[in-house]
Amino acid sequence: MKKLKFFVSLLFLFGLLAGCVSQNSATSNKSANNGQASETKNDANGKLKIAVVPKLVGIPYFNAAEKGALQAGKDLGVDVIYTGPTEADAAQQVKIIEDLISQKVDVIAVAPNDPASLTPVLKKAKEQGIKVIDWDTPADQSIVELSIHQIDDEIYGRHIAKTLIEKIGTDKGEIAILTGGLSAANLNAWIDAAKKELEENYPGIKLVTDKIATDEKQQVAYQKTLDLIKSYPNLKGIMAFSTPAPLGAAQAIQEKGLQNKITVVGTALPKDSKPFLEDQSLDVAILWEPNKLGYLTVALAKDLVEGKKPQDGQNIDNVGKIEVKEDGKTVIMGPPTDFTAENAGNYDF
Amino acid sequence: MKSIMKKEASIAVIIIILSIVLSFINPVFLTIDNILDILKGNVVLGILAMGMTLVIITGGIDVSVAAVTTAVCVVIGKLLVMVPDHIGALFLLLVIACLLGIILGGINGFLVSKIEIPAIVVTLGTMSMINGIVLYVTNGQYLNSTDFPKVFLKFSNIKILGVSILIWLFFLIAILTWFLLKHTVMGREILAIGGNKESALRVGINFNKVQIFVFAYMGFLAGIAAIAQISYTKAVDPNGLSGLELSVIAAVVLGGTNIMGGRGTVIGTILGVLLLGIIQNGLILARIDIFWQKVVVGLIILLAVSYDHIQYKRAQAQLSRIEIDS
Repeated sequence: MKKLKFFVSLLFLFGLLAGCVSQNSATSNKSANNGQASETKNDANGKLKIAVVPKLVGIPYFNAAEKGALQAGKDLGVDVIYTGPTEADAAQQVKIIEDLISQKVDVIAVAPNDPASLTPVLKKAKEQGIKVIDWDTPADQSIVELSIHQIDDEIYGRHIAKTLIEKIGTDKGEIAILTGGLSAANLNAWIDAAKKELEENYPGIKLVTDKIATDEKQQVAYQKTLDLIKSYPNLKGIMAFSTPAPLGAAQAIQEKGLQNKITVVGTALPKDSKPFLEDQSLDVAILWEPNKLGYLTVALAKDLVEGKKPQDGQNIDNVGKIEVKEDGKTVIMGPPTDFTAENAGNYDF
Repeated sequence: MKSIMKKEASIAVIIIILSIVLSFINPVFLTIDNILDILKGNVVLGILAMGMTLVIITGGIDVSVAAVTTAVCVVIGKLLVMVPDHIGALFLLLVIACLLGIILGGINGFLVSKIEIPAIVVTLGTMSMINGIVLYVTNGQYLNSTDFPKVFLKFSNIKILGVSILIWLFFLIAILTWFLLKHTVMGREILAIGGNKESALRVGINFNKVQIFVFAYMGFLAGIAAIAQISYTKAVDPNGLSGLELSVIAAVVLGGTNIMGGRGTVIGTILGVLLLGIIQNGLILARIDIFWQKVVVGLIILLAVSYDHIQYKRAQAQLSRIEIDS
């Protein structure tokens, strides 16, 4: 019995160790080749090292961004390190950036989970001569040299509202808004822009209730949509923000067979929304292409190290024309992409 | 015995009052359609709460339920896109889901009973490990129903007497759990251990066996819940169930099960699940502002539990008075 207990606890210990090792090995082989790099800054073959840090790894959106970033690394001849926390946690992100600083990378591009908590560590990186930029979500603007946005929040929100009205086919009626979480700054910015568009240009549209939170979960969005349909029988349209919300809303519409009565427009990835787009339960999914965002981040990071500033209207290979705001450092990738039943099959994210 | 019945009655009263208020605010609430939607939406929660009731009665807790269910969902999701479109495949998947759940639950039970690590520590550990493995395997990738066999989609849309098969599944599980708790030796042993561990051990109840059993049963139900979850969302979302363990525990405790063990019934848990479901559903129907919804949820939970607790205390006071009198 005692032996058995010992054996099992040993097994448990191994399990724990194995967990640590797999994580370490990923970072340690990076730090291994930066051991030599620390002297010359660039490693043996003189390649630039660009670190791209997402909010978290392991969700389809950031996986697509990773693909684009790595592709850019290959195309442009730079080393790209794509690493991030396993959950959207600011403290874990700080640790990862500390680690990247000691690896002496040339650029750190970060999508902060919480901008304020990253400020000290980003300052430290800057003091060590590392270029700091942000992508996907803005960091502390006094530190970053470039701020790469996928989209103009204002244009995006308005575009979603406009598309919804267009698909409803009339500018009178009741609509509702679903959101991922009440505290997500980017979702709130889009929703505010969408509301502004409705107020200014479509006074006949009535928002039946304040935005409804769906906890970034499809089944919650599904249940809330079912409840919405029942409480507001005249509902004509739903705008769903955050990637799982449109899928849940569409699923409810599909199940109740209301495709012709209620229009759903939302921010979803094309591959996930394809089955709903095909039977019109989801009318349009509107998003940007995250792989291009990853690509653009690496391309601009490389330019930055080489002393080239982005120009308004500049054409980036594989991405397209970019827009640069007056401050010279806020870059906008471009207009949103509409995914519909016709084109959703062409994307692999 | 009487105090247990009272306990359930008090939750039922709260549900009835809430329903009356809600149907005054919005008549849609009392339509059959809406009630079926509420039931269907809480099948996964309900199935898991059944197993959790047993675990909590023995004085344990299992915070890895959501993780185990997700793990089974992911494995079944991977298999679903591979199996042929045949009814036999469906049964095979059901068996695999249950077995996988039993194995994962059994591991929890083994660690809790044989190595005597507290249940919350064990299940926190296994939860973290399972979540990590699931993330590694799926990379968070969402799986939609395009590649699922047609027979599975047909299964999830079956209705018997106008009621979704998922709801029947839940009632089947509830009856099974009730029977287990009420009419089997194992069930009586579970209650005995929760009531008083020392005396239970002295009358010769095998504590380890009971613990392994409740955790394995929890795992078995997690396997069933996984099938229900995939049928319900017609998709596999590796992050979709995160945080569900808290709702499961809340439903069980709301239903009058004592978190310290010993007390708890299947009917009570069903009422607890219903109460949670009705609150969620009713708040939108009642058109309560989103920021106040969370406050209202907390308020109702506190009200229900304290009402229930006051009743219990009164009953206890009565008991002690009788003792003094006699």
